[in-house]
Amino acid sequence: MNRTLVILIALTYAPSVTAFEEPASWQYVRDVVPLTAKYCLPCHQGEDAQGGISVRQFRTAADFPAKRDSAEKILKAIQSGLMPPDDEPQPTSLERKRWANWIENELYDLDCDEAPDPGRVTIRRLNRVEYNNTIRDLLALPSSFSPADAFPSDDVGEGFDNIGDVLSLPPLLLEKYMDAAELIADKAIVVRNAETAQRQVREGTKITSKGGVKFRRGVFAFISQGVVRASFAFPRSGRYLIRVSAAGDQAGDEKAKMKWTLGGRELGVIDVPNNRDNPRVFEREIQARKGRQILEVEFVNDYYVRNKADRNLYVERLEAVGPMDVKMSEMPESHRRVVSRTPRSNSEWLLAATDNLRPIMQRAFRRPLNDAEIAPHAKLVLLAQERGETFEQGMRVALSSVLVSPQFLFRIERDPNPEDASSSHAVSDYELASRLSYFLWSSMPDDTLFKLAKQEKLHEEDVLVEQVKRMLKDQKSRAMIENFGGQWLNLRNLEETTRDPEKFRVFDASLRRAMIQETILFMEEIMRKDRPIVELLTGQYSYVNGDLAELYGIEGVSGSRFRRVTFDNLPRFGVLTQASILTITSTPTRTSPVMRGKWIMQNILGEPPPDPPADVPDLEETKKASPSATLREQLEIHRKDATCAVCHRKMDQLGFGFENFDAIGRWRVRDGGVSIDASGVLPGGAKFSGPEQLVQVLMNSKDNFTRVMAEKMLTYALGRGLKYYDRCAVDDISSATIKGEYRFSELVAAIVLSDPFRKRRGDGGKP
Amino acid sequence: MSQSLARRTFLKGAGLTVALPMLEAMRSQGRAADASSDGPVRAAFVFFPNGAIMPSWNPQGSGKDYKLSSTLAVIKELKSDFNVFTGLAQDNGRAKGDGPGDHARCASTFLTGAHPVKTSSSNIKVGVSVDQAAAANIGDRTRLASLELGIQRGRNAGSCDSGYSCAYSSNVSWKSATTPMAKEINPRAVFERLFGSAISSESAKRRNFYRKSVLDLVAADAAQLSKSLGKTDRRKMNEFFSSVRELEKRVVRADEERKSARPSIDLPQGVPSDMVEHIRLMYDLLAISFQTDTTRIASFMVGNAGSNHSYSNVDVNQGHHALSHHRNDKDKIAKLVKVDEFLMGEFGRFLRKLKSVQEGERTLLDNSMILYGSGISDANRHDHAHLPIVLAGKGGGTIETGRHVELKRETPLNNLFLSMLDRMDAKVEKLGDSSGRLTNL
Repeated sequence: MNRTLVILIALTYAPSVTAFEEPASWQYVRDVVPLTAKYCLPCHQGEDAQGGISVRQFRTAADFPAKRDSAEKILKAIQSGLMPPDDEPQPTSLERKRWANWIENELYDLDCDEAPDPGRVTIRRLNRVEYNNTIRDLLALPSSFSPADAFPSDDVGEGFDNIGDVLSLPPLLLEKYMDAAELIADKAIVVRNAETAQRQVREGTKITSKGGVKFRRGVFAFISQGVVRASFAFPRSGRYLIRVSAAGDQAGDEKAKMKWTLGGRELGVIDVPNNRDNPRVFEREIQARKGRQILEVEFVNDYYVRNKADRNLYVERLEAVGPMDVKMSEMPESHRRVVSRTPRSNSEWLLAATDNLRPIMQRAFRRPLNDAEIAPHAKLVLLAQERGETFEQGMRVALSSVLVSPQFLFRIERDPNPEDASSSHAVSDYELASRLSYFLWSSMPDDTLFKLAKQEKLHEEDVLVEQVKRMLKDQKSRAMIENFGGQWLNLRNLEETTRDPEKFRVFDASLRRAMIQETILFMEEIMRKDRPIVELLTGQYSYVNGDLAELYGIEGVSGSRFRRVTFDNLPRFGVLTQASILTITSTPTRTSPVMRGKWIMQNILGEPPPDPPADVPDLEETKKASPSATLREQLEIHRKDATCAVCHRKMDQLGFGFENFDAIGRWRVRDGGVSIDASGVLPGGAKFSGPEQLVQVLMNSKDNFTRVMAEKMLTYALGRGLKYYDRCAVDDISSATIKGEYRFSELVAAIVLSDPFRKRRGDGGKP
Repeated sequence: MSQSLARRTFLKGAGLTVALPMLEAMRSQGRAADASSDGPVRAAFVFFPNGAIMPSWNPQGSGKDYKLSSTLAVIKELKSDFNVFTGLAQDNGRAKGDGPGDHARCASTFLTGAHPVKTSSSNIKVGVSVDQAAAANIGDRTRLASLELGIQRGRNAGSCDSGYSCAYSSNVSWKSATTPMAKEINPRAVFERLFGSAISSESAKRRNFYRKSVLDLVAADAAQLSKSLGKTDRRKMNEFFSSVRELEKRVVRADEERKSARPSIDLPQGVPSDMVEHIRLMYDLLAISFQTDTTRIASFMVGNAGSNHSYSNVDVNQGHHALSHHRNDKDKIAKLVKVDEFLMGEFGRFLRKLKSVQEGERTLLDNSMILYGSGISDANRHDHAHLPIVLAGKGGGTIETGRHVELKRETPLNNLFLSMLDRMDAKVEKLGDSSGRLTNL
């Protein structure tokens, strides 16, 4: 809103305002300060200021944008009627409106018709989930392989673990990146050497003999001329290693000699200079045809002088190892992606490595690269050459270097003017491809996205919308449900939730997992079938396995498989009545209407209540004063304290609506012998009794719910906290979603089409 | 047995004959410069969450003739090996206009003495922690500059504490004001970090040969990249860069070292599901890391700040944090005391282990300074003064133990830290809100 509007509003609400452009500070002193002094100051000043908010920090109008966080809280409290507390003197509604408008204008001097600030996200390090998924998609490794599980957990900010500013990279993590990169390279690239190739071993009864050969203690002893034979099956034509472990008794003027023949073809005559107590393995690399062939080893120079000299040969084992030559078609997909070409000579290594790395590096860095950028990585293969290792071993080193490069580990977006906060620009099509894929898949872009980026078409609106639809249909979009949904609804906290084992015997790890799974499957249906997002709160269907069915009292479902059920006769509506959410909002021993109410205010209504002051009189004291009081009565006594009442009158009431569900989500009508009273009255007068009616009350503000979900999802999509200038985008996204009948895909598309998603600006130290 | 110490002997031996030999070869992992024959000075900082029940913690009387409180009595047989402090504070844990969030501030100020910027994402900032100040000074003398251990991963959904990023609640060690040192919670991973994975020295040599080149390459990459980035992004790149340098140093050091004996220990594959076992293993690994002089500096979070873990092993089924807002309820206090005593018992177990290792004339405990405490005292009031602090070990004979050291109220905990740093050749002039050194250690 610009200054002219400020004046207009001032005129509307303050008839005494003169028609010249007043400095905001005049208005502040004249219109706002008296209200603040009268309604806020008594409780909100100094070190003990209530809620930690002191109004004394706002000396001039300029302090409002400067201390935005506190100012926004004050604004919300005034707008929502949360402040001043009920039992304190209240401003008139005109005063309240004028007051809120003034603060709003100071805070959001925004004109949504002009291009608002698209903001700037700090380069984002891949988090653990993104790392695992990216490796899976980059190298076609099985999804069961999840190297990032060994990484330290990613810190959470703004409720999500993909926030660029919060994702730090301490030395410990870099070590793990290095370890993981080597492990991944070893898995992805097959190194064909004698250790890894197929080995056929023939010994003992698998060997037949002819002539002067005796078999003793596992060794064939050639006392005079003779032959041993074994049959080998060569899976295809190619290079094989033939190995014979042998020793000799030496006599006369030559060493013992053996002749090798394969399929009638002589392979050569080999000296066996070592003695019987020191057997050795002799090896030859040969070309063999496909099929079964006989290997013969013959003692060719027997020598014997009675009582004087005796030359003998001993053979213990025959082996064929191979094929040693690598056939691309036999290699796993991961290998073919990284080593599509093998050099024929040493001088070709660098060239082959560059050709191999070009496609994989472009995918790993998620943008086109020139050869100068590839060269330093390709050169690493020469180190392997110097050490006499194979080309594939060199490629492993090169791949590991790609995987610890900051360009792989971070999603980097570039600006023409990185230090100019006023210069905003559309992100490149490649950057947009990554934004899309990490938002919807928690992984790297696929070939289609890369292709559209290359053609410079991806930024076109109809292309974007089409891609959103395609990507949501892909199985990979489950990542969005798990990561966005799981964190928005705090579902992941269930993993660490414990219950008093005596009170809740059925609560174990497998039930806990089932609870998480239910909510994921439920949200997934809303995404896959493109249902209205409000069904998250109203949907009378879900997915249960045997354990959950028993918990819910549903007949006819058993076993570990989940199936879709409808709740025609059961009072269950959306996530609020699912065991997962009901459990994380309870304490280990009992339900907590306060926690449930707080959860709803935070995640559904978008009005997170402040934390309680540390030292407030508490339920237990209340309990002592009136020992027979029910939980509800105790809370009511507790709420008499004005400080607490402010938030609790809403929190507790919301929580009461779900009191029919116990601390693990089972339906109940009595608690400790007393009938459950699940009725409540919200500030503003809305009445309800039980979960169904409460959900209906919440549905009265479904547009607000849409906005809250839009804010949360935009935060997740951008990887940064929302700022005041994002308000225009949130407005647009919410109204587009509402217009699109609240459909899930409309919300996602509106986010993808929003300015903050498609643009960015320079840094310049501006938050 | 000379090399392969049976884990049971080490971990469970009642008389604590530590079978792991204090080989001179192992010692020399540290540089000769300061390895006096009696062993170098080590320091560890153990953090426990949610404060303590102070009436059961605070001792009576002062100096040598003080009387142990009931919580401290759990380690009474070690009375001559530690000092208990009263009067210490972390003033920067207080709100100072930032409102609620005392648990986030409790952990983040504990070892830094700095006031964390209240933010849930951008501009995370607090201060360098005492262990990292030590590591910056003397970390290059051992294979690992420092070791950060924990029991709980960072919280992975929702908010941690009243608008503070979870980074503040799940880390006590801060390498710089903006980079928390992530902690390791998996015992096996700690072991491999300390002693390498079970690969031959030949393959380790080969790996390090390539690692040097790879790290050079990516460091150059980061430097190049930085040039085209904005200020905030550059900060991330610097973080990357300094982590690369850190690893490079380790790789180079590994080559210079003689192959050290790798204690053979039977460790579970993943994180133990039994918390007691988990805590013990982490303490044991900490002891081994000091014993082998693989590092001289460590921090250990027995729980994240505001942890709501329930200690069912001592029949406390409610969440720790929820309980800690006890409002003077007798039952709750009794349960919290049980938790305090349990944690103190595990700490004592660790101290006994250190004490059982002989280093020349002294014991490993004598050569150490093991700080045990929390950044709040009474969790019910979120009090950041009167902190529960125990310092065990004689710091290589520079600390007179067996005392209750009474300090002036509001003495910065960081003053104690400065005095500790002096004793390990890692002197700094100022750290966080330090206002001087303690004169009566």
